[in-house]
Amino acid sequence: MLQAHSLLWHYLWVAPNALLLLLAWLLLRRGGNVRYPFFLAFAIVGALEQLTIYAADVIPSVTPKTWWLIFWAGLVIEGLLKFALIGEIFAHVFESYLSLAKMGKLLIRGLGTFLVFAAAMAAAYAPKDSIFGIVSGAHLLQQTIYLVECGLLFFLFAFSRYFRLTPERQILGIALGLGISACVHLGTWAIVANGGVPTAKRTLFDFLNMSTYHACVLIWFYYLLFPQKVAAQSAVPLPENNLDVWNRELERLVHQ
Amino acid sequence: MTIATLLVVVAALALLFLLSIPVSRSLQASASRGLAAQIQPLDVEAFRNLVDPAEDEFLRRRLKPADFRMVRRRRLLAMAVYVRTAGKNAAVLVSIGQAAFANDAQTAEAAHRLVDNALLLRRNAAFALVRIYFALAWPGTGLAAAPVLQGYEQLNGAAMLLGRLQNPAKPVRISATY
Repeated sequence: MLQAHSLLWHYLWVAPNALLLLLAWLLLRRGGNVRYPFFLAFAIVGALEQLTIYAADVIPSVTPKTWWLIFWAGLVIEGLLKFALIGEIFAHVFESYLSLAKMGKLLIRGLGTFLVFAAAMAAAYAPKDSIFGIVSGAHLLQQTIYLVECGLLFFLFAFSRYFRLTPERQILGIALGLGISACVHLGTWAIVANGGVPTAKRTLFDFLNMSTYHACVLIWFYYLLFPQKVAAQSAVPLPENNLDVWNRELERLVHQ
Repeated sequence: MTIATLLVVVAALALLFLLSIPVSRSLQASASRGLAAQIQPLDVEAFRNLVDPAEDEFLRRRLKPADFRMVRRRRLLAMAVYVRTAGKNAAVLVSIGQAAFANDAQTAEAAHRLVDNALLLRRNAAFALVRIYFALAWPGTGLAAAPVLQGYEQLNGAAMLLGRLQNPAKPVRISATY
């Protein structure tokens, strides 16, 4: 069952991407494209890219070299879209707070530079896991993208937790799905790209990655389509004359 | 394999942290009713005295250098307690303010102002703590904790405005004296 081209393998490759396209369509119907344009682009382009790679994998006439070239192109496009999406998440979480926006931008730029440098170092010191440069290069690029993505999302959550900021439910869901996927993929690609697994066992890591991605798509469905339960708040009528109330309060404080 | 092991450990820790977020968010939501009780009132006058450079200068002139350093360290430690408490209060006020975003326009505006001020204070408190700990190592150096005090007073006003708008009978106060 846990083998390439098994029924489960086909399902895990196709279903999450079909669901992602469905989610994009539902969001478009609701007008969600206005709020999260990069998530929508990521959902559509990412899903189509994965389905193209899947099609290239199952069509016998596609040569291995062509498949890897398609994979590379998809990887670059997906990577760029993910970083644009992370930028969108940061903007939604911090930009409405003037006191944090500037510092947040500064820290993100610094951290981004550091992560790119760290990822480049990790890639430079990794042993080649394949005799074909196109294969090991793709694995290292995966590791690099996920390392930077994971670092940026971790920072986003840690920073907002320190300041007790509660991101909107939808943006939290997007970041959470992206973050969980990035962490699992980083772990698996780090093992694969550093030659820690024999080729025969790599399919197990593919299954782990695909299952995680499926779970993340379901997380996006839950957070983006199901509304938040709103706790009943008792409406407090505003005082008719604020100035009077304030003057009384100030007098009371002054004479304490 | 060393790099791979390191990356796997980092990824696993980050994953655990991310998975804890929805849990802590739901716990936070259920505990939001008692938020105002978490605020610890601070004596602004006492804090103002601690951060007053004139007080430090007076002590420096009156005491022997060794005694001054000891007294200065104690004052810095006391200052750190105040700043930490102010930072914690600011964090609580961020939660209170965010919970009020969904109210009417006037309250939401006051809530936004409160959250912005509270975030600024939390940020300043973090910076101030770094400076205090730095000054603890070198007690002779100057220390600018005044922005924290200023921010705290501004925050107190914003919190009281929001408290008044939400519940005229029960304002939120975060200073023992004002």
